[in-house]
Amino acid sequence: MSAQSPLRMFATRFCRNYSAVVGLLLLLCVGLMAASASVLFPEDPWDMVSTPFLWPGQDPNFLLGSDIMGRDLAAGLFHGSRVSLLVGFSATLAAVLIGTTIGAIAGYYGGAADSVAMAITELFQTIPQFIFAIVVVAILTPTVTTVTFALGIVSWPSIARLVRAEFMTLRERDFVAASVSIGMSSFRIITTQILPNALGPIIVTGSLMVATAILTEAGLAFLGLGDPNVMSWGTIIGAGRDALRTAWYITAIPGLAIMFTVLGLNLVGEGLNDALNPRLKNR
Amino acid sequence: MSTTIIRSFNRAVASLLLLTGTLLGCPVQAQSAADIDSGTLKFVLSPEPPFLLTAINTALQMGMVTSKVMEGLLYLDNELKPQPLLAQAWDISPDGLTYTFKLRPNVKWHDGQPFTSADVSYTILEVLKKVHPRGRTAFAKVTAVETPDPLTAVIKLSQPAPPMLTALASSYESPMVPKHLFAGTDPSANPYISKPVGTGPFVFKEWKKGDYILLEKNTDYWQAGKPTLQRIVFRIISDASARAASFETGEGHIGGLSPIPLTDMPRIAKNPALSIEARGYAYMSPYMLMEVNLRKPPLNDVRVRQAIAHAIDRARMTQVVWLGYGQPAVSPIPSQVTTFHSTDLPKYEFNPEKAKKLLDDAGLKPGANGMRFKITHDFIPFGSEYQRTGEFIKQQLSRVGIDVELRSQDLPSFLRRAYTEYDFDTTSLYYGAFADPTQGVQRLFWSKAIQKGVVFTNNTGYNSPEMDRVLESAQGENDPVKRKALYLEMQRIAMTDLPVIPLMETRFLTISSSKLKNHTISADGIIGGNFADAYFEK
Amino acid sequence: MKRLLQLSNLHNPTLRLLGRRLLRAIPLLLAVVICNFILLKLAPGDAAEVLAGEAAASSLEYLTELRVRFGLDQPVYLQLWHYLVKLMTLDLGFSFRHNQSVLSLILDRLPATLLLMLSGITLAVVVGACLGVLAAQRVNRLRDNLISIFAILSFSIPVFWLGLMLIVVFSVHLGWFPSGGMQTVASGKQGFAHILDVLHHLVMPVTTLGLFYVALYTRVMRASMLEVFNQDYVTTARAKGLGERRIILRHVFRNALLPLVTLIGVQFGTLLGGSVLVETVFSWPGLGRLAFEAVFQRDLNLLLGILLMCSVLVMISNVLVDLAYAQLDPRIRIR
Repeated sequence: MSAQSPLRMFATRFCRNYSAVVGLLLLLCVGLMAASASVLFPEDPWDMVSTPFLWPGQDPNFLLGSDIMGRDLAAGLFHGSRVSLLVGFSATLAAVLIGTTIGAIAGYYGGAADSVAMAITELFQTIPQFIFAIVVVAILTPTVTTVTFALGIVSWPSIARLVRAEFMTLRERDFVAASVSIGMSSFRIITTQILPNALGPIIVTGSLMVATAILTEAGLAFLGLGDPNVMSWGTIIGAGRDALRTAWYITAIPGLAIMFTVLGLNLVGEGLNDALNPRLKNR
Repeated sequence: MSTTIIRSFNRAVASLLLLTGTLLGCPVQAQSAADIDSGTLKFVLSPEPPFLLTAINTALQMGMVTSKVMEGLLYLDNELKPQPLLAQAWDISPDGLTYTFKLRPNVKWHDGQPFTSADVSYTILEVLKKVHPRGRTAFAKVTAVETPDPLTAVIKLSQPAPPMLTALASSYESPMVPKHLFAGTDPSANPYISKPVGTGPFVFKEWKKGDYILLEKNTDYWQAGKPTLQRIVFRIISDASARAASFETGEGHIGGLSPIPLTDMPRIAKNPALSIEARGYAYMSPYMLMEVNLRKPPLNDVRVRQAIAHAIDRARMTQVVWLGYGQPAVSPIPSQVTTFHSTDLPKYEFNPEKAKKLLDDAGLKPGANGMRFKITHDFIPFGSEYQRTGEFIKQQLSRVGIDVELRSQDLPSFLRRAYTEYDFDTTSLYYGAFADPTQGVQRLFWSKAIQKGVVFTNNTGYNSPEMDRVLESAQGENDPVKRKALYLEMQRIAMTDLPVIPLMETRFLTISSSKLKNHTISADGIIGGNFADAYFEK
Repeated sequence: MKRLLQLSNLHNPTLRLLGRRLLRAIPLLLAVVICNFILLKLAPGDAAEVLAGEAAASSLEYLTELRVRFGLDQPVYLQLWHYLVKLMTLDLGFSFRHNQSVLSLILDRLPATLLLMLSGITLAVVVGACLGVLAAQRVNRLRDNLISIFAILSFSIPVFWLGLMLIVVFSVHLGWFPSGGMQTVASGKQGFAHILDVLHHLVMPVTTLGLFYVALYTRVMRASMLEVFNQDYVTTARAKGLGERRIILRHVFRNALLPLVTLIGVQFGTLLGGSVLVETVFSWPGLGRLAFEAVFQRDLNLLLGILLMCSVLVMISNVLVDLAYAQLDPRIRIR
């Protein structure tokens, strides 16, 4: 009889999935990049330190080459990882917080609260997301804060729906009935009883949402709606867009960085999904 | 089991490939050759103009289309000399108060009506003088336009107005408008601004929004045997790299205002099928400058502004940001305006040490992080080169201890900030100096040009009685020698007080197929040229 | 006979569903309009300034005239009221920038957008479903992993980068496909030749747009196939001795399609937003780019019109999805 804690079982299942482990490693690499940026590249990545259009490997001082204005691409890549990850995670965090709150209220209380919450959710969902984000950023003028805000505002509806569905199912369970009978307050039931059980799908969806946020931020930067004071991967791609034909490495390098980060997030997300839903496995 | 799936899948893939194979039907290069043979010119345009009458809205892209359909009285050749177009001859009285134009006979509008002096009178009095954004100043002194006979128009002025002739010498700046279609209506709301009727070599045919504008050859054009081209298709392509691709595949034959990313220029220059033309922008004479908000300390101290001017390496900016397609500016009247440009002015060469000393003298010492004070910088969102200009300025100023925060926004937000709310410290953008300083440069330095809400006018708050006096005298000065001296004085005052800091004279480029000839034969190039003489070499 | 019974059973619930949806739709659309209106009014600058800005010169009288003509001089609540009143008569207003009524502008561009989006979804669904089935067949083996990696890669590549790279390779270097636009203008092509011309221009934009969603559909199909494989009725069918092929096609496939169908409904809204990038890169004259440009031109009427229409389309697709859902799984009754 196994007396392993759920956490240990989860970890074991996760680690047996090779692709999930690969994903985790990819994310660790990116995280390391972000952490070591100021140490390895103490100068401002905006500094125009070399001749423009240096190809990777051409100059040993600039391993990844230089961009259209002579800025060090490696410095940009490392510093950019901070911003892209920050934007991705913050936007998702905001979306998760808003979405979970609304979804929990809707799913637990039902009735009028549910109708109102669902109406608001549907309102946000019928407006095309990317265009909505463009409008919000254009109104607030592009900065890191406004872009994060816009991405968060646009993504919360799907989390809300998910949480609502989970809560509606979980609320019928025995342990909830037990908590009600011993007089626990609704707030405590929601946060300490139901929420931990609903966390699984939230985390999985959240990990994918970080990937989408990073991609959307790059898209916004491409359209000229990025923060001009802060260098993210999207900024570098947008800046290198003009030189796409002659110096495609300027867009390819951050593009690959985005791709690997998104890949890592997807693999981890899938791994989490599989680990949390063992009945799906016929392994 | 799975074999069935695989088989159906394979069948699907096969049919997909077959379909793709049939779709590879027409190779792109073949289409280009067909276009040239049939005399179809593909003109690459972006952004799409809102309507088609430059007398109401002087957007350059609009001019590229309308100048082929509607013509002006004269045009300026590449030496800035006026040449006849709809006016065959003209005469200016010695006191400069009467301009007599003899119009070309047998010119018809596209709907068959004859072009007469009544149209000239209507255009000048009701359209150019009242509605045209720059016309209000250029034609302000016009009191009447007499029409003694259908082929003679006499313009009467209350004071001499040398800029007026320059304004009339461009189909882009002053197109003639058909009186019989516009009289009695509000020109801005007239439906004919979306389907223009003119006297030009091409007739408006079709406008598919977001896609293309189609012009067909005018078979009744007043120049016999012209135009050679059969039709012009204006293709709206909003992505710069996509435009570059269209030139290289031959899907686009001409485009102006540097239509492709400057980084692609060297590759295009090496392509024998494509040509680059630098002429054709002298009429507009664009140059980049920084507007400094004099209301905000410490920018109200002239030493700070001089320090900023010394801190920016304009030569390097021209090379790094604009890839050499420009020339560092030393005066608010750019060198292309040969009549008035001067170099005998206070100079601000690149000297960061001098800049630091000036800032020290102004009492602005560096703080703990090496920065003396902080300002914002708004660059005009006309494209990535303008953003890079902003980034360059930020970098250069940080070296002398000025912390710059860049602000990015779309055009309406920028205009609102810079011209209505005056919520800015510095901006960078380009102005058209135009062939006459009254048209272009005056609005930067004239105190009466400070009008809240009006865009591209004095927003620095600069108010100098001396400058006002010089500008107002020069505006109405008929004697060219005296006028030149006045503008020399104007440049000296401008470069001493430095309310705006000239950065770089922009060199716009026109890209065209090497087979296309005679597209840039006037000072306003493809923006004002009517393409009557343009042809494809076989 | 059974079919007729089924149809008559659906008749009333379908009407009831449509009626309920319509009732809910009206206040929702109203809310959409009001929200968007207020949001857009918060943006600094207005349409008059944009026109003046592009004219590169202006005067106070000109700006004031424009503002009066656009109705911008009135207080905001009055502007909203006028807009709502006009909306009752299905008049979406006038776009002063394009000098055309908003409705005609949208209808002009709608076919191009629908063509792009529907082709994109079809490509994504077909390819995704096939790949999902193939992956589920050999779960966790090499084929599965390769397909998953391909799916994730197609999801991770930035759409605009992919588009531009396709143009460089297939248009500039190989000359196989045109670099942009929807048709060869003024070519005089009619009928079938014209259709082929449009299809020729459609290939690259559709590939770029569709590839992004292939990942989604592949994963969903794979997951639901796996889930369904273990269900009771499959085991029953196997026990009954039905051939694998019949099992797959009749039972598994149909039920696995359910989440896919739901996903398509949800995707419609995001697809329009996503088409902005594709339409920009390929100069495709669609609504996505029109909406994007309307934001920067502060063309309120046009943007509101497009957003409203999108909401309507999303609602319609939701209803269609629900109906299709019921058809696919007879266990689901339309309540």
